Amino acid sequence: MSMRSQVYEWSNLASSGNSTLRRTTSDVPVTIPKDREIDIFIGGYGNNITKPAETTATQFIVIEDIACSPWLGGSVQIRINTTDYFQNPDVTRQRGIPGLASPYPRGSPSSVAVAGTALDYSVDNLLKSFDLYPDVYVLPGQVFQILYSINTAMNGTTTEVVAAFVKYTLYDGPDALIANKLLELGVTINPNNVDWYKRSLIEQQTRAAMAPANGGA
Amino acid sequence: MSMRSQIYEWNGLAPSSSTGNFTSANAGRATSIFIGGFGNNITKPAETTATEFVVIEDIACTPTLPATSTAATLSANYRGQLEGFTPGNGLLGPRAFVQVRINTTDYFLDPDNVANDGIPGSASPYPRSLDFQPSFNLYPDVYVLPGQVWDILFTGYNNGSWGATTGADLYAFTKYTLYDGPDALIANKLLEMGISINPGNVDWYKRSLLSAQGM
Repeated sequence: MSMRSQVYEWSNLASSGNSTLRRTTSDVPVTIPKDREIDIFIGGYGNNITKPAETTATQFIVIEDIACSPWLGGSVQIRINTTDYFQNPDVTRQRGIPGLASPYPRGSPSSVAVAGTALDYSVDNLLKSFDLYPDVYVLPGQVFQILYSINTAMNGTTTEVVAAFVKYTLYDGPDALIANKLLELGVTINPNNVDWYKRSLIEQQTRAAMAPANGGA
Repeated sequence: MSMRSQIYEWNGLAPSSSTGNFTSANAGRATSIFIGGFGNNITKPAETTATEFVVIEDIACTPTLPATSTAATLSANYRGQLEGFTPGNGLLGPRAFVQVRINTTDYFLDPDNVANDGIPGSASPYPRSLDFQPSFNLYPDVYVLPGQVWDILFTGYNNGSWGATTGADLYAFTKYTLYDGPDALIANKLLEMGISINPGNVDWYKRSLLSAQGM
């Protein structure tokens, strides 16, 4: 199991304080500030993990999809070490992929609010306008962050629940070495190509083993 | 019939008195959809014999829509499959996840290498609808080798009132291919060769053997 499809889902739900390490049944929405990029792994809001997301010397990560709630002007950005992936045409910073372009969940309404005592949501079903292709590579030893931000303030009395989502493939051990080799060769890193490289190695070894038996021919 | 496409659907509503309904009282606990004691169950843990090979190709469960913190007091519910859910904790739906466990190892991990709850239903919804479409595709597939025990664990965190008492259906789903007998041997061989195990590649290997014999 050295190539594994993985996901991480973040939401602004915590049982006490602003963040929590494990989801619980007593989680409630916490207000997140607007116009501030929040690391969905260790940002201090909602469900978090124990340490920054990083690859070890024997790991290679390929990020294949990012998405977030479309309301409140939510956006997601990828940061590798200190470099933001998505930038404006004038090479200045931007907030990343809007939830309207890459909604989570797919098919969700573009807005959710409260009107009197009724849930008020738009009647649309948002589909994705954005596909993260080519994928984003996190090389061995790099730190990566997924940054979520909103540009509309949350309603303090009816705190909106927002979520962000990332889907990636984790290559570990020998498969991470192969991923590095594919990167050197300029070949796209995906499970098919890693398998193709393994088969090539096996074929080469088979031919090498057969050669002496054939008199070196 | 030595390669067979199979599915297993779990419903939190118990079909008989042998198991109980899965309700919000069970929230927060990872429950096996095969032998967890709630909803429809099977007679023994899911496992492969020495002549079987299982490839899990999809897992999914009931989705959830984030809403607002006052959702629990709202009079109107959401549309579609979540219509029967009474909202809670700002969420409409069970806040459910599904995890694959092989023997004692959980498949899905957080980036800090700690096992997590698995795939959210919002990323891999079952059933799929216009309201909820998949963001997740289980690729590469998960292999269950001969002699291994496997499980699909369902966890729901929303403590709003949901489950059998509200009429809201709660589902988990897995789709897998079962390779048996000679095809399981070929699946093992493909695994050694680093070739993806699917019916097309198993057939390709059979054809290769036949051509090697001059047929």
